[in-house]
Amino acid sequence: MSEEKTKKILISASSVFILLFSLVPLLWMLAVSFSGNIDFLRSGRYLITLSNYHDIVRLRNLHFTDYMRNSMIIATLTSLIVVAIGLFAAYAVTRMNFPRKELFVMGVLAVSMFPQISIVGYLFKLMSSIGLINTYPALIIPYVAWTTPVVLWLLTSYLTGIPRELDEAALVDGASRGKALLRVIFPVAAPGVFSAILIAFILSYNEFMFALMLTNDFRARTIPVGIALFQGLHGEIPWGYVMAGAALASLPVILIALFFQRYITEGLTRGAVKG
Amino acid sequence: MKRGNLCSPASGEALPFILPVILFMLLLVALPVIGTFINSLFRDVPFLEKRFVGFGNFARLFKDPGFRESLLFTALFLLISVSLEMVLGTLFALTMNEKSRLTTLLRVAVLLPWVIPVAVGARIWQLIYNYDYGLLNSIIVLFGGTPVNWLGSPGLALFSVILADVWKTTPFVALIVLTGLKAIPEEVYEQARIDGTNLFNRFFLITFPILRPVFTVALLFRTIDALRVFDVIYVLTGGGPGGSTTSISLFAYRYFLLGDFGLGSASSVVLFLIALSLSVLYLRAARFKEAIS
Repeated sequence: MSEEKTKKILISASSVFILLFSLVPLLWMLAVSFSGNIDFLRSGRYLITLSNYHDIVRLRNLHFTDYMRNSMIIATLTSLIVVAIGLFAAYAVTRMNFPRKELFVMGVLAVSMFPQISIVGYLFKLMSSIGLINTYPALIIPYVAWTTPVVLWLLTSYLTGIPRELDEAALVDGASRGKALLRVIFPVAAPGVFSAILIAFILSYNEFMFALMLTNDFRARTIPVGIALFQGLHGEIPWGYVMAGAALASLPVILIALFFQRYITEGLTRGAVKG
Repeated sequence: MKRGNLCSPASGEALPFILPVILFMLLLVALPVIGTFINSLFRDVPFLEKRFVGFGNFARLFKDPGFRESLLFTALFLLISVSLEMVLGTLFALTMNEKSRLTTLLRVAVLLPWVIPVAVGARIWQLIYNYDYGLLNSIIVLFGGTPVNWLGSPGLALFSVILADVWKTTPFVALIVLTGLKAIPEEVYEQARIDGTNLFNRFFLITFPILRPVFTVALLFRTIDALRVFDVIYVLTGGGPGGSTTSISLFAYRYFLLGDFGLGSASSVVLFLIALSLSVLYLRAARFKEAIS
């Protein structure tokens, strides 16, 4: 009896701690972004305003909207491409026999353990020599490679759970492997494909080091780098702008988390452990 | 290494399915890694002719106190942040595994720090630590204390960087451990409950051993990630004060930025080799393949 009670108290205390720990920094970001005076905690006066949001969207020379657009386009294209190639590879891994299959899977998986810095220097030279620095492909191409392991892993785990009889029936009816995948497996695997797209989108939307190294201005720079390098004209940091920018930059991924929490959790954990 | 086999007839059917992935891996991962290894053996700086120097870059690195400091910082950061994340993440998971009215709210709240960009999270923490207007100092002053320069001294900067990282990545550990918890059937606990085993013993004697493979996976991913830490430090401290929070990645990045691809590559190779050996160690210890299949 008393143990049940102890447990209840522990769970409640821990729940409150988790909520505070996770949310207070985000609430702080929102509080600063909507305030006209950053010293509101000290002065005890809070001037509510929308001007930070208004300014960062309207002032073209801050390039906030450029960074957002770049990020959205790059992350969307990356996630679609990587899931397309990952789906075909996952199909082959789960349904077909080919030599050195284990080496293929483990090789791709090993890539997720590589430090990014061990390829970014070479990539910079490569992209410079073919004139791609500061373009969308300079980021999309490495992002596809970089997100391939988690996407392949997730889709392989998902396709393993789909009965082989399904596509075997299609093959008996004379469909090709490709058709069996697209017509029969794809519709069944749609939830897995969707969560792979979301995970790939979040990963490439959030990526920092490649974007920092392979872009140099608003034409291709993404929002994480934009926010990181955001500075005022005289070296001071305009915190109201930065926090409004941070809030807007977080919006797409936070909306994804709110609406598709199950898909993200599923994808995230499937990518690491078979669920 | 795979070419000979891929041309054999047995694989003919599968080849078009896996070729795009193979091409991406070879051209954008294998080639750059090999290129980095090769570059690490050259003097490769602006305005001077590229020259083979053997292991000269590595010799210079290990004599450089800055590099040794970055090795030490990375090791400290890894040990402390990963330990904290594992403990807190497990605590989070145990809490979220209980049915309560807060369950859904908790699951979403925990996910938020993980989905936002690291750079954005780091900017938020930078303002939390801000000397004049920061959340922490405001609270301290409110209670009559004196403001603290959170990012100003080596020890505090280390602590501050770790706290921001723990905030960002504990959700990852929590969600993985939670998946493991959900897979444990209730019956496992029945006998223990009859025997009157208490809450803490139930965790350490029953839950923990069952979850070992899951912990290993989380530990592996977190270790590799902490080892290559870059974004949070780049934004929060820029490696300072005085190089005290410079990770190996940041150290290498600075050389690339200066156009010194020899030393930049050599530092990257050191990090690569550390990551590789740690992964192999873990995989051996955990018999990873069994854990994941």
